[in-house]
Amino acid sequence: MFVSRQKFLFLLPGLLGLLAIILFPLLFTIRVSFSSWDVVVPGLDWIGGENYARVFADRRFWEAMGRLALMATGTVLIQYVLGFALALLVWRDVRCKRFFRVLFLVPMMTTPVIMSVIWRTIFHESLGPLNDFLGLLGFDPVPWLSIGGMAVASVMIVEVWQWTPFMFLLLLAGLLSLPEEPFQAAAVDGAGPVRTFFMVTFPLMAPISIGALIIRLIEASKIMETVYVLTSGGPGTATETASYYIYIRGLRDFQIGYAASMSVTYLVMMIVVLTIIAKLLTRVFILKDGA
Amino acid sequence: MAALYRFLKYAAILAWSAFVIAPFLWALTTSFKTSSGVVSGATYIPWLQYKPSLEGWGVLFRRAGKGIDIVDPYLSSLTVTVSASAISLVLGTLAAYGLSRFSFRMGPVKNADITFFFISQRIMPPIVLAIPFFLMLQALGLLDTRLGLILVYVALLLPIAVWVMVDFFNNIPVELDETAMLDGCGPIETFWRVILPNCKPGLVVAGLFCIIFGWNDFFFAFILTFTKTQLLPVAVVALNSSVTPWWSLSASALISVAPLVVLAFIVEKYLSQGNLAGAIK
Amino acid sequence: MSLIVENLGKTVEGEVHLADIDLAFEKGGFYVLLGPTLSGKTSLLRLLAGLDRPSAGRILLDGRDTIGTPVWKRRVSMVYQQFINYPNLTIYDNIAFPLRRMGLSPSDVDAKVRGAAEMLGISELLERKPGGISGGQQQRTALARALVKGSDLLLLDEPLINLDYKLREQLRDEFKNIFSDNLDSIVVYSTTEPIEALMLGGEVVVLNEGRQLQTGPTHAVFRRPATEAVARVFNDPPMNMIDGTVADDHLLLGGGLRLPKLAHLAGLAPGAYRFGIRASDLGLARGGANDVAFDITVELAEISGSETFIHARHADVSWVIQEEGVHTYPLGELIPAYLDPRNLYAFASDGRLAAAPAAGV
Repeated sequence: MFVSRQKFLFLLPGLLGLLAIILFPLLFTIRVSFSSWDVVVPGLDWIGGENYARVFADRRFWEAMGRLALMATGTVLIQYVLGFALALLVWRDVRCKRFFRVLFLVPMMTTPVIMSVIWRTIFHESLGPLNDFLGLLGFDPVPWLSIGGMAVASVMIVEVWQWTPFMFLLLLAGLLSLPEEPFQAAAVDGAGPVRTFFMVTFPLMAPISIGALIIRLIEASKIMETVYVLTSGGPGTATETASYYIYIRGLRDFQIGYAASMSVTYLVMMIVVLTIIAKLLTRVFILKDGA
Repeated sequence: MAALYRFLKYAAILAWSAFVIAPFLWALTTSFKTSSGVVSGATYIPWLQYKPSLEGWGVLFRRAGKGIDIVDPYLSSLTVTVSASAISLVLGTLAAYGLSRFSFRMGPVKNADITFFFISQRIMPPIVLAIPFFLMLQALGLLDTRLGLILVYVALLLPIAVWVMVDFFNNIPVELDETAMLDGCGPIETFWRVILPNCKPGLVVAGLFCIIFGWNDFFFAFILTFTKTQLLPVAVVALNSSVTPWWSLSASALISVAPLVVLAFIVEKYLSQGNLAGAIK
Repeated sequence: MSLIVENLGKTVEGEVHLADIDLAFEKGGFYVLLGPTLSGKTSLLRLLAGLDRPSAGRILLDGRDTIGTPVWKRRVSMVYQQFINYPNLTIYDNIAFPLRRMGLSPSDVDAKVRGAAEMLGISELLERKPGGISGGQQQRTALARALVKGSDLLLLDEPLINLDYKLREQLRDEFKNIFSDNLDSIVVYSTTEPIEALMLGGEVVVLNEGRQLQTGPTHAVFRRPATEAVARVFNDPPMNMIDGTVADDHLLLGGGLRLPKLAHLAGLAPGAYRFGIRASDLGLARGGANDVAFDITVELAEISGSETFIHARHADVSWVIQEEGVHTYPLGELIPAYLDPRNLYAFASDGRLAAAPAAGV
């Protein structure tokens, strides 16, 4: 619109407030990353890029990053597909759809940590219901939390349970706001449900899909609490994500300087990767739509 | 063909519903157990497979000695979450309106960059901020206090409010603001009298997300509080590490998640009215 | 009250939206901004309202530059093409809004609101909300709110473009009545349709690509377009334009059409010209003694509303002829068309008007 002094009145309280709280931690972390602060030698000295060199050589860190990338994209994609399917299922012409909509929303309202505590009891190999149920069906007990691959799967199951509703909510709201006309046109053209979905529904939902995917990716990359409760990063380092590893080095081993350098590296990488993904997604969706 | 389709539809819905309910059902039955119901393997049906008891639940409300106090953490969580959400919503909505309507230029930094700055705050994993926040609160004497937590939560929730509201405002035509101004309203009056009353869906969504993310935070509460102030998630998880019986665990877990489940009803109501549609894009 | 636009220009990120606009508006006057899309009409209206700032030039209200006055302190109303009303207020409150801002007493507000609603025919809707009424009714509400303030300047930006055909015609008639009583405000109305300009009258400002082509009383500009460009903008369907030459005693148009140098054409100096004639001034039946016949091949008969536009060819020149009523024509056959040279416009090679039909032909 136009220029007026008053516009700053709107932006500044929030911006300055955020900066005030965030600026110190940010700057501090960057400064600390250049020091060797740890339990043995506390305090801000300067060791230049030593920590960063160590980060680049740290295999465990990069493995954790890789694991994170896998788990985050894996769960987000599953959540997207499931969330979309669920949204479509309770979108229209279903009995008791309001009840199911409420039910489907519930998991995301719960406290992830607390639910993880419950899941831990569920996944328990000898006393938990999951293996008991599988036993009834004739399967051997599954080592949900004690074997690497299974542990990853268990964490992912919990994440999917917890966060699919978030996708579901965004996508359902999007579906409910779609105009009638394109669907009527498709019906007139004799398109069946599958074709209607790919030709009409999916393209129209493109902008919302992109937003939802990006937001979920941002949140999913911070997976920590589930891992902390369910597996403590184990067995071994099988479910150790980047944030968990940083937690170990920083708050358990108290190598604060090193943890800070990992954090900064992580942050920069995340921003770059997420921006690229955002641009890519936009191109993919828009291309599909305009083609 | 159509009948098969319908059957599959309902089957899918019921399957997922079962998946959603399962953990709650399990927690519910477990909360009524005692050691006999747990030690020999998984049990499900009270009276048939184990003897139900209220021991798990009783533990919640006993204060001193055995048991955990659930009332205090509840109140703390409530205070902190509501305050932080309210502040974030107010500041965030104002900022979002500014970013949507006006163009800012602070050096090379423009609107889109500022919005990106807000949203990118969510990328920070809690770890990155944990120690500096700790030191900051320590210096301010706000460790282990509700106020300290509120401050930290505002930093976490503000980006959410901005993200939701900027999108929402962008969907309201600028011509409406202009008409208000032509009718004699200054920018602030325009915001207050014309735009805000049309914002309810957006505010509901933003407020909802703030409350959800605030109430359910574990990490920062864990790091920044100890004994004086304790939030709900921390209280419950503390039980996890000690040798706490499953039944008290389950009972406290159920109690903790109940309030927000109520929110699910409110959200669904707004969703079905089509009001949320404009807010989430 | 006088409103003067001096040397106004607006450039956005390198693109020129408006340039060199000079206008003078008078109290009680009705002005039409006519031009195709992207000709600068909306830009000009927004600058007049104070919603945007000019890149060059100034706008003077009673001699003072308006640039310092913020929008909310001006006495301006605007009606947009999208139906803009306050969604959360009833129609009554919508119309009352500006009056309450001005601090009028509730009884004054009530009287004015009911008066405006009466004039726009929406009195039964006062308790409803904008979401529950039709587009036409929403636009009437917007108009009522714009009028009720008694502003010095009333701006309308293609207000009828989003309404259906019948509604447009109906509202156009009502506009004539509403604005004919107006003695105090300056009304500026923008449109892309020449017929709206002609129906509403007043003075017209013809715009194209951000520039001001011609300004003057609407019918005068219509009859005597100063340049080819004006003739192009001000006619729908566009004027038939044919290259031709003028000799001492006759005109020769493209396709070998030879015409006598009658009436206003008599004074034309020999040379190359472009001749223009309106589709409605051509016909398929002999109209009068001066009609000249020429054979055309019909390529397409386009039915639009209650008229038919015939697209045809004579030799290698394309013509568009407008006929009343709905007809079908034999495609591909040769049929006679008639042209009265007294309806011919002549434009010199630089685009400027050389000769125009006399009034009353």
